[in-house]
Amino acid sequence: MAEYQNIYLILSAILFTIGCGGVITRKNAIVVFLCIEIMLGAVNLAFITFSRANSSPEGIFMVMCVMAVAAAEAAVGLAIFVLLYRKTGSINIDKFNLLKW
Amino acid sequence: MEQALILICSIIAIGTAVMVIFSRNTVHSAMWMVGNCFIIAVLFLLLKFQFIAILQVIVYAGAIMMFIIYAIMMLNLRVSDDSAEPLKNLLNGRYLLVALLLIGLFIIGVGFGPMALKGSMTDPAMVKFGEVELLANYIFSEGLLPFELVSILLTASIVGAVYLAKKN
Amino acid sequence: MFDYVWLIPTLPLIGVLVNGLFGRRIEKANKSIIHWIACGSVGLAFFVTLIIFVQMLRLEPDKRFYDYIWFTWMESGEFTVPMGFQIDPISMFMCMFVTGVGFLIHIYSIGYMWHDEHDEGTYFRYFTYLNLFMLCMITLVLADNFLLMFLGWEGVGLCSYLLIAFWFSTKEFAIAGKKAFITNRIGDFFFAIGMLLLIVNLGKHGIWSIKYADVFAHVSLLSPDLITLICILFFLGCTAKSAQIPLYVWLPDAMAGPTPVSALIHAATMVTAGVYFVARCNILYTMSPLAMQIVAIVGGMTAFFAATIALTHNDIKKVLAYSTVSQLGYMFMGLGVGAFAAGLFHVLTHSFFKALLFMCSGCVIHAMSGEQDMRYMGGLRKKMPITFATMVIATLAIIGFPGFSGFFSKDEILWMAFSSPSGNFMLWLIGVLAAAMTAFYMFRLIFMTFFNECRASEEVKKHIHEAPKSMTVPLIILAFLSVVGGYIGIPKALGGSNLVEHFLEPVIGFGKGKLFQDATGTAIMHGAETAGHHSHTMEYLLMIITTLIVFGGIFTAYMMYMKNRSIPEKLAQKVPLLYRLMLNKWYIDELYEWNVIKPLHTFSIFLWKITDTMIIDGLVNKTAQFFMWCGSMLRHIQTGYVQRYAVTFVAGTVAIVMYYVFLLYI
Repeated sequence: MAEYQNIYLILSAILFTIGCGGVITRKNAIVVFLCIEIMLGAVNLAFITFSRANSSPEGIFMVMCVMAVAAAEAAVGLAIFVLLYRKTGSINIDKFNLLKW
Repeated sequence: MEQALILICSIIAIGTAVMVIFSRNTVHSAMWMVGNCFIIAVLFLLLKFQFIAILQVIVYAGAIMMFIIYAIMMLNLRVSDDSAEPLKNLLNGRYLLVALLLIGLFIIGVGFGPMALKGSMTDPAMVKFGEVELLANYIFSEGLLPFELVSILLTASIVGAVYLAKKN
Repeated sequence: MFDYVWLIPTLPLIGVLVNGLFGRRIEKANKSIIHWIACGSVGLAFFVTLIIFVQMLRLEPDKRFYDYIWFTWMESGEFTVPMGFQIDPISMFMCMFVTGVGFLIHIYSIGYMWHDEHDEGTYFRYFTYLNLFMLCMITLVLADNFLLMFLGWEGVGLCSYLLIAFWFSTKEFAIAGKKAFITNRIGDFFFAIGMLLLIVNLGKHGIWSIKYADVFAHVSLLSPDLITLICILFFLGCTAKSAQIPLYVWLPDAMAGPTPVSALIHAATMVTAGVYFVARCNILYTMSPLAMQIVAIVGGMTAFFAATIALTHNDIKKVLAYSTVSQLGYMFMGLGVGAFAAGLFHVLTHSFFKALLFMCSGCVIHAMSGEQDMRYMGGLRKKMPITFATMVIATLAIIGFPGFSGFFSKDEILWMAFSSPSGNFMLWLIGVLAAAMTAFYMFRLIFMTFFNECRASEEVKKHIHEAPKSMTVPLIILAFLSVVGGYIGIPKALGGSNLVEHFLEPVIGFGKGKLFQDATGTAIMHGAETAGHHSHTMEYLLMIITTLIVFGGIFTAYMMYMKNRSIPEKLAQKVPLLYRLMLNKWYIDELYEWNVIKPLHTFSIFLWKITDTMIIDGLVNKTAQFFMWCGSMLRHIQTGYVQRYAVTFVAGTVAIVMYYVFLLYI
């Protein structure tokens, strides 16, 4: 098993970077959200790989935690999107610049 | 054989991920994302973790993606015109940063040598007890506190989501 | 067997809690419940004290000591302070008259305060404060250690402040309260230093206790100089509380409070706390002849000095206030020459007649619709017969008319001032002169108030009436006590047995005391024993001289204010300087104003304007301004675009990743 771990890690790196690029370029909030999910998937893959390489359950446990966080994030995040859409009629994240000074 | 399978899966995973970013239609993006989740689950299976692969399919592809598609439906989103955005101004500083990130992670991924086996999830143990039992042993002994914290997090998110979704 | 002693302070405490917390509602429902609670609690306390006193009298004199420890108040390492009450002759002696006179004045207050309409809800407030005062005063006299006594000491100071400034909506009254409080703070400061010195230095010898018994038993461990220093510091505290030179200035102003308060706090009980304390620490003081000398001289000077001021004052309460200062001076003079028992005896008789005098003056003021100036009084004798009779008795008592209580106590002090080794002729002479002046100004007061024609306006005249029952009954009781109170302490020379001295002997008895036998150590013990060597003939002679001089004082007053009433004015014109000096209280207040208060004020303004406003506030403001500037620079980063923030985030991630790359390969 251990001989393939580099492939997995490199795949994880590539997926992570793709997600990251999506997050910082796309303006559509839902797509940004999907990109975050891609990043989380990439991280999960890396965790599982390490877990396999170490034959330790910790990585798997961490993946479960990440899944829970992702689920929570989806619930709250989407609720926020719906709310913002109701208020502004758009989900273009450049329009939500309330944090501006 | 296995290597070939891994490589094919990898290519599909990268492809779906790229398609998520470049789709003009938000629903399409979401569907590509579902595909990506399935491929990741396949990779988990290749790593011989059946349980977590099933979780991946159920939680990600089943629950979270359902949420997102619901949200898209409710917001009545269809086409967004910024799908070409990632290809504009490729010399922009932010792309440079992303490239640097890719390079750094790549180097780390390549450079990882074999590790010492130290955990309880060895192949013979997994054959003997099953993956779920080993995992449960871990969760309910060492991992108990984080596990409980995760449950609190979920509860909090439920409350938060309900509060936000309420009309006033 | 005295285990119920905690009842004595607890009873007034209940009064305080009930009246203080629910007083406003009770007053609305039924005003008289308030004074029933207040007087009842103090009356019960007096009753308990009486039982303990009787119980104690039945014990052998050298067994009359009991230390009841209620609970541990504070504990710090080896140093513990108990919440303990000490039952011994001196504490019971004080407690008896504090609760007794206090009870009478509570009853008197009912009549005095009933119609007070200065403000809403003054009635319950008044009785709450009065009960609080009783609580503190009882704590003060019953405490078995210095710290608990100090708690009571501060407590009575607080109550004094609250009650002087009772009608705080009038500005002068509020200022008078403040003056009393601040002057007392100055004294308390020295007192606290003395106490800390005592604790620390006894601690060096391993005695981590501040209980009277422990301190007095080990006081010989301390060096004589240190004891002198501690004694003087303690005495400075007493000068503030008991209105002695140099800190007496607050007491005359303290007359701003309601008259029963003046009677209770500023005549009978609180101001004698200093005398009590010095008498309590007689073992410390007898070990330091210098401190004793200072006490005696300050006391004598105060007695004389205050009497001169009282000569010319026209405000009836101010005259009595200065007479209080003067009498307190007597007490300290007595203590200073080693006549601790005589000093305490004078405290007792003084509490009777001075409380009575104040209460009578309260009746007069009450009748005169609040007028306090004696020049607008006169001729009240017929209209207020009870007040007149009791006031004359009190006056005879205070001037030491033979047969009245003041005679015995004052005579005892004067005799000791003359005969004891630490006394001398000068002290005696000052005392006698002060006694003569006392006779003069007290009879001046009587003549101006009760005799001749009434000089009040017609409007006021119509309202003049005898006080109600609740006011006159305490007067009569106190008048009775003022007469017979002296008979418990008739000196040996007059064929008496001096019960007071015998009673206090176990605690004070000049080295004969068995309770603190170890403590006497190398202390110089003299006083009563040596005084006995003088012949009785001498004592009689001095007694006669004093009495004659007192009669002279009365006669002069009679001549000046009854027979030929133009004399005072002529006299004032003849020696205008002296008259003005006396009338303006020797300009002591102005002296303090210019030498102490003004420089302090200037210094405070300097601290305020320069140090505080400019330096400290300036620094704070400049710091805040600096960070405001930083913020105004940094806020340009806050574009509000989420993706910009995400890019920053990615940059951080890249930095971390690069760091790991660096760790892996280089």
